[in-house]
Amino acid sequence: MKAVRNIDFSVEKGEMVAFIGPNGAGKSTTIKMMTGILYPTKGSINVLGFDPTKNRRKLAYEIGTVFGQKEQLWTHLTPYDNFKFFGAIYDIPDYAVEKKIEELKELFELGDFINIPVRNLSLGQRIRCEIVASLIHEPKILFLDEPTIGLDPVVKENIRSLIKRMNKEYKTTVFLTSHDVGDIEKLCSRVIIINNGQVVLDDSMENLKYHYLNKKIVEAKMREKVNLEDEDGITILKDKGYNLKIEVDTEKRTVADALKLLNPDNIIDINISNVPLEDIISSIYRKGDKS
Amino acid sequence: MRKYLYIYKSEIMSNLQYVSNILFGFIGYFILLFVFFNLWKYLYSDPNELIHGYSMEQTIWYVIVTEILWGTVGGRKLCQKISNDVKGGNIAYNMNKPYDYVGYSLFNHLGIATIKGIIYIILGFLLGILFLRMVPSHTIITILLVLLSSIMATIISCFLIITIGLFSFLIEDSNPLYWVYSKLILILGTLFPIEFFPKIVQPILTYSPIYAVAYGPAKLFVNFSWDVCLQVFITQMIYITIGYILCKFIYNRGVKKLNVNGG
Repeated sequence: MKAVRNIDFSVEKGEMVAFIGPNGAGKSTTIKMMTGILYPTKGSINVLGFDPTKNRRKLAYEIGTVFGQKEQLWTHLTPYDNFKFFGAIYDIPDYAVEKKIEELKELFELGDFINIPVRNLSLGQRIRCEIVASLIHEPKILFLDEPTIGLDPVVKENIRSLIKRMNKEYKTTVFLTSHDVGDIEKLCSRVIIINNGQVVLDDSMENLKYHYLNKKIVEAKMREKVNLEDEDGITILKDKGYNLKIEVDTEKRTVADALKLLNPDNIIDINISNVPLEDIISSIYRKGDKS
Repeated sequence: MRKYLYIYKSEIMSNLQYVSNILFGFIGYFILLFVFFNLWKYLYSDPNELIHGYSMEQTIWYVIVTEILWGTVGGRKLCQKISNDVKGGNIAYNMNKPYDYVGYSLFNHLGIATIKGIIYIILGFLLGILFLRMVPSHTIITILLVLLSSIMATIISCFLIITIGLFSFLIEDSNPLYWVYSKLILILGTLFPIEFFPKIVQPILTYSPIYAVAYGPAKLFVNFSWDVCLQVFITQMIYITIGYILCKFIYNRGVKKLNVNGG
């Protein structure tokens, strides 16, 4: 069984790319091939000038990895000791590690807990330390696999802004895998969607939104019942008599057309919103499944 | 090398909090030595008698030292860890770090082995002195050589156990292999010196890893001689080389066939 087929893409220095897809799409396989863990049966990979299958060890010095579901820190040691450990692993002299720890401590706001054993940290604090540990050797590419999994919304937001800051500060290329649309939307300027082992979309976040956000959701609370039926460009999603939810395809009809059908005098309350990015991505996944 | 020393140091720092757990493990060691002390006391009807060239004190010290070595290695955990790394796909996360997995596993395990070794040596010697009221005579040089030989024995044990664990690349479960290995070491290496076995078996045992991981250091401790010392060190160096090559061979073949799903 082939996990991936004919995948072809390149990433620019400093880019933040979301590499997403449903479970079993081939994301992990691709990342593992890019980091030299798995060997492709055909084709070629070039990461920072290295062939990962031949130069895995050399490439390891240039990349960092954070797996939200896999701890790489020593839980009985403090973050500080862990960072020193990672410094040694990457053959960085002591004075340089100290300097880097100081710098990253400020950037990732670790001052309050850098000397507390990792096992006593909250998940959010631990993830921050995981990211810092993966940056000690100043990698050119950072692979982030579900970095915000299990975190509450406030902590997620905090982690995202820290990653953004890190990208701005060090120009580190970020290759992100996540099922969290918030991560993708807020961090990445480009999205690569993979399904059934093939790239089904490779576009900028802006284009994705422009092309796919051509549908508006209109939710209205009515004074009197309205009998509407699907028309070209207007789809009834929910009709509970006084409460209506319709989807307007703005390439075919305007929102104003839809409002006219409802009769503005009959509307008590109304909400017009974009189709959530999550739904857009799901529909792309489904298209990929059909093809 | 600095990175491996850091791995070693980090493992020691991590495990210092579990010294009490290690002390609990010592209960079994105490019981075993107590049984053997009484057994050999019964078998040696005359305290000055020699069996296969060993006095009663030497035989019991032999068991004390081999049990210290075996307890220090704690092979079951090491084998399980390697096997779980292979089967659970954890090995993949080690592969994108700039170190050698075999070296990482060795130095990682030597960290806990060092803590165990120190405790086992102190408690083993206390028990030996308590039971036997004597210690084989040594100079500082000879005792350092015994210690060095014990460290090499531990490294060889680790390599052999890592090799067994890495067999998980080829077979579903390597634990039965470890079980066979541990029983062979127990029966042929820990409880009796090689001289106690039939003459026909002795050459086989002398060339087997048992000589390097158990008999060698224990023999040097109970009856040090420069001839044996040289032979033990040569054997141990050969086995360290063989052990490392074996680990690397199986690892390199295994990772090429690695199939990590999900995650």
